Amino acid sequence: MTRFNTRIASVAALIVVLSSLAARADSVKIIANSAVQANEISVHELKGVYLRERNSLNDGTHVEPVLARGGTAHEMFVKLYLKQNSDELQRYYETLVFSGKGSMPKAVASDADVVAYVAKTRGAIGYVNAETNAPGVKTLAVINALSGSERAVITYVAPEYPSLLRQQRIGGIVRLKLIATPKGDVRDVEVIGGNPILGEAAVAAVQRWRFAAGSSQTLMEVSIPFEPN
Amino acid sequence: MVIVVTHACDSATTPITSVIFRFDLFALLSVQSFPGNAPDTNFDSPTCKPGCLNNVPESVDEVKTMLRTFKFILMILCSGQLALQAQEFKLFERKVQVHGWVSQGFAKTDNNNWLTMDTSSGSAGMTDMGLNMSMQISDNLRIGAQVYDRNLGELGQYHPSLDWAVVDFNPKSWLGFRGGKVKTVFGLYNDTQDQDFIHTFALLPQSIYPTDLRDATIAHAGGDVYGSIPLTHGAGSLSYTVFAGHRTDTVYSGYPYLLTQFGVRFTEYGGLQYGGDLRWHTPVNGLVAGFSRLDQDTQGTGTRAGLFAEEHSIQDWTNQFYAQYTHGRFRIDSEYRRYLRDQRIQNGTNEDEDDVRGWYISGAYRVKKWLEVGSYYSRYSITSTARKLLDRDLPQAHDYDKVVTANFDANRFWNIKVEGHFMAGFGNAPYPNGFYPQVNPTGFKPDTNALVLKTSLKF
Repeated sequence: MTRFNTRIASVAALIVVLSSLAARADSVKIIANSAVQANEISVHELKGVYLRERNSLNDGTHVEPVLARGGTAHEMFVKLYLKQNSDELQRYYETLVFSGKGSMPKAVASDADVVAYVAKTRGAIGYVNAETNAPGVKTLAVINALSGSERAVITYVAPEYPSLLRQQRIGGIVRLKLIATPKGDVRDVEVIGGNPILGEAAVAAVQRWRFAAGSSQTLMEVSIPFEPN
Repeated sequence: MVIVVTHACDSATTPITSVIFRFDLFALLSVQSFPGNAPDTNFDSPTCKPGCLNNVPESVDEVKTMLRTFKFILMILCSGQLALQAQEFKLFERKVQVHGWVSQGFAKTDNNNWLTMDTSSGSAGMTDMGLNMSMQISDNLRIGAQVYDRNLGELGQYHPSLDWAVVDFNPKSWLGFRGGKVKTVFGLYNDTQDQDFIHTFALLPQSIYPTDLRDATIAHAGGDVYGSIPLTHGAGSLSYTVFAGHRTDTVYSGYPYLLTQFGVRFTEYGGLQYGGDLRWHTPVNGLVAGFSRLDQDTQGTGTRAGLFAEEHSIQDWTNQFYAQYTHGRFRIDSEYRRYLRDQRIQNGTNEDEDDVRGWYISGAYRVKKWLEVGSYYSRYSITSTARKLLDRDLPQAHDYDKVVTANFDANRFWNIKVEGHFMAGFGNAPYPNGFYPQVNPTGFKPDTNALVLKTSLKF
C-alpha cells in the first residue's frame, strides 16, 4: 500500500512538473511592430535575432530585438528560446560589445515599455507575458522544429477567432504538435496546450498551412496566439 | 585598517547586500607597488635597469595619495550606478551606444615576482580600462571603436591604444565583413581576454591567454569574413571567421620587455597575421566545439648597445582546439594550444625554435545571482633550442597552475574577484610566460603561490 501511494505521489509530482513546463511555453508571447510582414517566426530565427547573428527574418524583413531588463517574461524567454539564463545572455552581449562584434539590444524596464517600444519602432520585435495587453503590435506564431530541419512556412492561414470567445475577451496561446511531410503538407495536428475551443480553431487553420519541402518529415511544435483585442 | 564594503550604494538590491567583503587595505597599501604616479617607467629610463621595479611608493605622502585614489575609486564605484544608465544617445538621428570599464587588481605572491610586478611585496600595479562607441549606420552597416589603456607592472605603462575600430557590413547571417582594426577571433576568449568582468576568473588560464603577451594575438589591422551557417538534419550550426591583417605590438609588451635584459630595445614589433576560427554549435544544448589556426610572419627592429638589432620569423603558427559546455548554472571549458615559433634572432646570426604547449580545464558554478565560484587547472610548457631547454619537466620549462576563484557580482555594473593561484614552475625561456628575470634578480624559486584580488566597474 505504501509503495502504491509512493507511486501515485511520484506520478502526481511528474504531472505537476510536466504541466508547469508546458505552462511556460504558453506564458510568453512574441510581439512585432506592425511593419513586420511575417505572421510567424521560428525559434531558430528568434535565437539568431536575439544573439545578433542575423538582423532579418527569412522573408528578408529587417528586425530589431528589444529586451526587458528583468521579470518573469524575460527569464522565461531567455530560457525557453535562447536556452540560456539571463546572466549568460548578459555576458554574451558584453562579449559582443567589448570585442567590437556587435551592439547591445535596446533594453527597457517593463512589459508595457516593451509593447510601447515595439509599437513605435520599425522592425522591432519583443516578448511579453502572455496576459499582457499589447495594443498596436502584432503577435507572432512561434514554430519550433523538434526533429529534422528548419522549415519555412510557405502558406500561412490565420485562425478564425471564435466570436463568442472574442466577445468574452478570452484569448491566450494554443500549443500544437504537428508533422510537416517532405512535400510540405501538414498532418497529425494535435493540441498539447491552451484553451480547447481556441485549439480547434488553431488546428483548422494550421491544417491548411504549407511548409517548404524538405528531405524528410519534420516534427514541430507551433504556438498560435489569440489576441481578443 | 579594515574596510567594510557593503552594498550601500545599491539600494535596489541583490542578496549581496547582506554580504560584507573585508580586507586589510592598510596592509595592502603599506606593501604594494602602485601605478598612476609612475611616469618614470620607460624601459629606456636611466633609472630603470634590469631588475628595477618602478612603482614602489617611497613616502608616507605617496601612500596617502594612493589611499585617496582608492577612496576616489570606491566613491566612483558607489555613485557609478546612477551615471551609468545613460549609455545611449542620438547623433544624426542614429543611436550611438557608449560602453566602458575600469578594472583594478592587486596581486601578492609568496615567492617569485609575477607578471612584472613586485608581487612578493604585494602590488596593485594592475589596472586597465577601455571606452567604446558604436553606431548603427543602416540595417546592415555598423561602425565603432574602442580605446584601451593599461598598466601591468612594467607593461602597458598607461600608453592608450586603439583597441579596435571597425566597419562591419553584415548583409546575411551567413556572410559578413569587418574591416579596420579588428579583435582577433581565436579560441573561446582571445578577443575578450582584457575584460575580466565577462569571465569567472580574474586571470584567464595563462597557458592559453598569457596577459603579458596579449599584444601578440589581440587584434589585427585588416579584415574578417564571418558568418553562421545552420546545418541540416538538426546538426546544429557552424560559425566561421577568416581573417588577415597586420599585428602591431607596443614596445610595452611582454616580449620586448623580456629582451631588455639583453640590452635589446625594440622600437617596432609586428607583422602579417592570417588564419581562421571554426566553431560548431552542436545539437547538444550548451555544447560548443571549435578550432582556430593562426599563421604569422613577424619582425622586430630596434637597437642593442646603440647598434641596429633585428629578428624575424622563419615559421610561426598556432593551433588551438576548444570546447565549452554550459548547463544551467554550470559551465566547463577546455582548450589546447600549440604555438611553434621559429625565429632568426640576433641580426640573423642565430636561430631559436620555441615549441609552446598549453592546455587547461576549468569549471564554474553560479551559486547565487551575486556569487559564482570557479576553478581551473592550467598547464604550460616550452622547449627552446637556443636555450637548449628541451626537458619540459624542468621548472624553467613549465608552469602548472591550480586556481580557485570566487566572483562576487555586487550589481550589474560592479564585481569583485578573489582568486588563489598555486603554481609549479616558472617558465623562464626565450619566450616569456609571466615570470621575468628582470624583476627576479636573485633568481627563481620553483613554486609560487599567488593571491589576486580584482574589481571591475563596467557600463
